[in-house]
Amino acid sequence: MGKELVAMILAGGRGSRLKALTAKVAKPAVHFGGRYRIIDFPLSNCANSGIDTVGVLTQYESVELGSYVGSGTKWGLDGNSSAATVLPARERDEVGATWYAGTADAIAQNIEFLDAQDPEYVLILSGDHIYKMDYADMLNAHKEKGADLTVAVLNVSMEEASRFGIMNTNDDLSIYEFEEKPEHPKSTLASMGIYIFTYKQLRKYLKADEKKKDSHHDFGMDIIPAMLADGKKLYAYEFKGYWKDVGTVDSLWQANMDLLSDSDLDLYNIKKDWKIYSEDTLAKPQVIGPKASVKNSLVTQGCTVNGDVSGSVLFNNVSVGEGAKIVDSVLMPGVLVEEGAQVYKAIVDEGYTVKAGEVVNKEAKEVALLSNNTRD
Amino acid sequence: MAKVVGLINLHSDVDLKGLTERRPVASVSFLGRYGVIDFALSNFSNSGIDNVGILIKEKPRSLLKHMSNGNAWNFNSKRGGISLLYDEKYANNNMYNHDINNIIENIAFLEKAKPDYVVIAPAHIITTMDYSEVVAAHQKSGAQITMVYKKIKDADKKFIGADYLKVKDGVVTGIEPNKGNAKNRDISLETYVFNTDALLKTIKEAQNVSAFFNLKDILKYALDEKKIHAYQFKGFADIIDSFESYFRVSLDFLHLEVSTQVFKTNWPIYTNTNDTPPTKYLKDAVVTNSFVANGAIIDGTVDDCVIGRDVKIGKGAVVKNSIIFTGAEVKPGAVIENAVIDKDALVQKFKELKGTPEAPLYVKEGDKV
Repeated sequence: MGKELVAMILAGGRGSRLKALTAKVAKPAVHFGGRYRIIDFPLSNCANSGIDTVGVLTQYESVELGSYVGSGTKWGLDGNSSAATVLPARERDEVGATWYAGTADAIAQNIEFLDAQDPEYVLILSGDHIYKMDYADMLNAHKEKGADLTVAVLNVSMEEASRFGIMNTNDDLSIYEFEEKPEHPKSTLASMGIYIFTYKQLRKYLKADEKKKDSHHDFGMDIIPAMLADGKKLYAYEFKGYWKDVGTVDSLWQANMDLLSDSDLDLYNIKKDWKIYSEDTLAKPQVIGPKASVKNSLVTQGCTVNGDVSGSVLFNNVSVGEGAKIVDSVLMPGVLVEEGAQVYKAIVDEGYTVKAGEVVNKEAKEVALLSNNTRD
Repeated sequence: MAKVVGLINLHSDVDLKGLTERRPVASVSFLGRYGVIDFALSNFSNSGIDNVGILIKEKPRSLLKHMSNGNAWNFNSKRGGISLLYDEKYANNNMYNHDINNIIENIAFLEKAKPDYVVIAPAHIITTMDYSEVVAAHQKSGAQITMVYKKIKDADKKFIGADYLKVKDGVVTGIEPNKGNAKNRDISLETYVFNTDALLKTIKEAQNVSAFFNLKDILKYALDEKKIHAYQFKGFADIIDSFESYFRVSLDFLHLEVSTQVFKTNWPIYTNTNDTPPTKYLKDAVVTNSFVANGAIIDGTVDDCVIGRDVKIGKGAVVKNSIIFTGAEVKPGAVIENAVIDKDALVQKFKELKGTPEAPLYVKEGDKV
């Protein structure tokens, strides 16, 4: 018997606008929110939505991401009938060694993986977004409408709409037109890059797209327009809640800061039904020292705080020395801030040391990025 | 290489008042993140002993949940593993429910593993001990049995009721109860290495003398006829043998010289994960000198405390010198001093909760006060 729904997470992006943060790892493996990596969000959403088979498509710097995903144990996806499978771009029979040329091509190159699962529906996700979402509810909408493709959309402001792929819909949410980054948007329903396809249709369109020489092999640019042109049934599914694309250093910093306010993301799971699962680092509980002060901040296990921390997010095993001051900053795992150092409005990358007495970004106009890696 | 299996002996654990009303000492929360048994389990794991049996005395529910498949302690390899050994027959018969009967009832565990040596350790002594070093010393001594002891310099205050050893030339010559009448004692850490044959023989002897004899009793009784090697352990060890000592040992970890002896980079303490988010400190949080687990939300004053997972401390609440267990909530303005607040309890503003360091106040699991 085939699976009803299989999820495919596109996790190959270079994330070059994250600069040094993605010098050594793919964007989905970038740390977020004190103890997570970005990909924990789509993977936990899958687990919480009752999806038990997930393919993770990797390309850029795939080693750390691949070993992090492993067999899906961290998200409870390692049972007898469940699995997370890492699907890197690879050498294949006949075509030889190829990279994933676009989002649609990445799925097309793994069509045999999907065929083996024999799914009725396929959920396509991006590995770069921070949000909590019940995909089962989206699938119900897809089935009720009898759709060939359902696209999750977010209602954005008119100003923002020009930055997104916009779905123009009828009253019943059926899509009649798709516009990529329109100068004069007709609607504010932005595509979140989350698609549910009826697999038969997806397979057919991917096969056809493979043969088109002038195609970008992209869902937004090629597959959706082709389906619209053929009069297929495309529907929008409106998502309400916190959603953030953390594509730049600024937006990554802002998304971390969002956790300090009462955001809709509800990491604290006050509703108790939607945990975000992640790696456990075997660290001791956090220690707040006798002279420390910690306010309006997130601090994770393994941290030792002896200085002043405010408006900041501290990941695993961060150490803040006596007299040090951390303001409005994100300290990634293993960061050491020595005695008397001061850090303002910064992202400090994994394993970086801020030397004793050093003062970083006191002006605090832009977000500063400190890293042992470099990347232009 | 010699084959070694471990046994964690929960039969020697003691009553910690309300804390152990519904759970064994082994699964009592420690430092907000661990179960007491995690230290013994991690010691076996870090010592390269991956086949471990747990001799369960009673109230296993919370322990079974904590242990899951042993994955967290690396015991899930296809060789070795964790075995939960329970003596159903005597579960409700206190005099018969001892470690020797448990080993006999579950003898299949040892018969299947066929170890050369068996290391037996308690859960309620918090230590980071490399058992592979103890086994090496045992092999070198030529003795059939080794007992581990530690030189305790304040035995008039700690380890009262535990046994102390008289040691001569590395051999145990006497085993006596510590009555607290001397400062310096060589205290038994209830940790033993047996040649497997010697363990089976000792068990048989015990049954021949008295059906009520446990391991401690027979070692004491038969000492004259046995050569027992004494191994001096020089690292950190402290005992949880009463509610009051649980409180003291926990808060002692707030001293750097204690916690750095236990939390070492080459000796991880494993536990199972709960996927709780980072702790959130709100605008009015004033937290000093405390251990805090993930998932807590703090907006009050916390000083010299151990704060467990998912604990909420409301605005203006003041919590001092106390241990707050997983999921407990302290409402705004409440005052707590020298207290242990058990799981999921709710502390409101009605009355100040004040104990003393010697006699801490206790609030039961799930209670509202």
